[in-house]
Amino acid sequence: MDLKNICRAVLFPVQMLCSILKAGLSLLLPCKRRDLSGDVVLITGGGRGIGRHLAHEFAKQGARKVILWGRTEKCLKETSEEITLLGTECHYFVCDVGNREEVYQQAKILREKVGDVTILVNNAAVVHGKSLMNSDDDALLKTQHINTLGQFWTTKAFLPRMLELCNGHVVCMNSILSISAIPGAIDYCTSKASSLAFMESLTLGLLDCPGVGCTTVLPFHTNTEMFQGMRVRFPQLFPPLKPETVAQRTVEGVRSNKAFVHLPWTMHILIILKNLLPLSALEEIQRFAGSYTCMNTFKGRT
Amino acid sequence: MNIAVEFAVVMFKVVWSFVLAGTKWIVRTREKSVVGQVCLITGAGSGLGRLFAKEFARRGASLVLWDINRQGNEETADMVRDIYREITSKREIIGGIQDVPFQPQVYTFVCDVSKRENVYCTAEKVRAEVGNIDFLINNAGVVSGHHLLECPDELIERTMKVNCHAHFWTTKAFLPKMLEQNHGHIVTIASSLGLFTTAGVEDYCASKFGAIGFHESLSHELRASEKDGIKMTLVCPFLVDTGMFKGCKIRKEMAPFFPPLKPEDCVTQAMRAILTDQQMVCTPRAMYAVTFMKTILPFDAIVCMYRFIGADKCMYPFLDHCKESMNNNETKIGS
Repeated sequence: MDLKNICRAVLFPVQMLCSILKAGLSLLLPCKRRDLSGDVVLITGGGRGIGRHLAHEFAKQGARKVILWGRTEKCLKETSEEITLLGTECHYFVCDVGNREEVYQQAKILREKVGDVTILVNNAAVVHGKSLMNSDDDALLKTQHINTLGQFWTTKAFLPRMLELCNGHVVCMNSILSISAIPGAIDYCTSKASSLAFMESLTLGLLDCPGVGCTTVLPFHTNTEMFQGMRVRFPQLFPPLKPETVAQRTVEGVRSNKAFVHLPWTMHILIILKNLLPLSALEEIQRFAGSYTCMNTFKGRT
Repeated sequence: MNIAVEFAVVMFKVVWSFVLAGTKWIVRTREKSVVGQVCLITGAGSGLGRLFAKEFARRGASLVLWDINRQGNEETADMVRDIYREITSKREIIGGIQDVPFQPQVYTFVCDVSKRENVYCTAEKVRAEVGNIDFLINNAGVVSGHHLLECPDELIERTMKVNCHAHFWTTKAFLPKMLEQNHGHIVTIASSLGLFTTAGVEDYCASKFGAIGFHESLSHELRASEKDGIKMTLVCPFLVDTGMFKGCKIRKEMAPFFPPLKPEDCVTQAMRAILTDQQMVCTPRAMYAVTFMKTILPFDAIVCMYRFIGADKCMYPFLDHCKESMNNNETKIGS
């Protein structure tokens, strides 16, 4: 028994080193990529913003079917038509992921009408964008229900079948704000932090399930309607991301089964700094970078 | 030119904060007095909440205890009253009764913090009966005890409501007065499972990460509005031996390095952090190392580390234990 433990203890640093090397090499060498031609992709919040670009990107990279869920039929219809024109089968259904019963109901309809979902993209999100005392209670809750709880329900609806088929992928469009909060978006930061934990825990749990993987994408400020008006202080140094880029990197992450994708890569530096610096130092830097005032001009979706 | 000056000032402040942080390690900061102040603790009927109540009582603070469980709450209140009696009699033995010192009191309220209206209603009662509160300890916590796919949706929602959403309501209820007076202290009792996760307890991890996200957002908001009289402390205890996660086990060879904490030790360290206005405390200190490693290592290496410690599946025995207890046809919800 002791020998076994000694071997384990000795092997551990070797294993760690190998993991680090492997991660380093994967940045340089091409790796095995998932073929999307058999995949049925469901994108929540697929009618606009990053969701719309994700639909385009999945279609472009050969997904068999793309399904869109959202609350605004007009946007869903328009996006669906665009995807169909590209030659990919596309369906849309009106569904508010914050409403648990609606999710389960629509999931059943989807299974009957279209088939089994093999890639679930939890992208739907809202932001209230006010400080705590100025926030409406119902709006605070709505953000939690759509951004966080909605992911619980969609995952519960589609993951069992993925596990049965040993084929599936759960994707979460998260945000860097889940790790590095800013004032003026307390509802969003809380919900994205919860969602990140959900995905991390799920990822760890699914490590033993062959064929089923997870990808969580954490983009910096992306140039969509959702965060309209938000202004970073040094846009030349930290330009907002283009939603097409986010979509492209997401699909690449799914195809190469990457667990976490930080966009841009410089976000890693932010995370490391956050853990190294004393909190008061971090606050000074954030204040200088304009994080404390960036939500002052926030307008959101009009 | 202005930007350069501003940048220089920021760099100086960053270096200064390192100096201050370093000094705190060497010089023991004095703990602030809480005599005569009012401390509100949610989930005070058991576990860490009860211990916090006793600690604040020992230091002469008045207490407002909230819990969904009336009996547990009253038991804590009785323990607090015993402590007050002890303090008063010690004072009498030492110094007689020349001046009339402040006589702390304990108030109990039954409150389900998952219900917004209940929180606001009870907060009104507190304001009417007790007055303003100085310390808000968001401690109430539950866990569903089921794997995600087997977990009833109501329990998932309950975990999120109690561990995360409740903080919105309690803070909204008491923060306005704190802002007015630019005085107060908000403590979030999160968990080390709010800094890293493990398989099987998705709802709990999500709620604790959310509580931490809320806490950080709020502290940035307070900083941005220059309300430096309102302090915030985040407490992230590792597995505490209160019975909430009974059965949870990491690999037995690593267990000596990460023993479950005695609740008293956890609370002692947390009290020290709160009373010295420390912004965050992880117990035990080894947790800082784990969270730091998590930020610099690639995911595969993190998984490797978790597997080595046995942390990736450490909750599975706890979940099995919950399943067994459910077989008696009783709804066991860890609290």
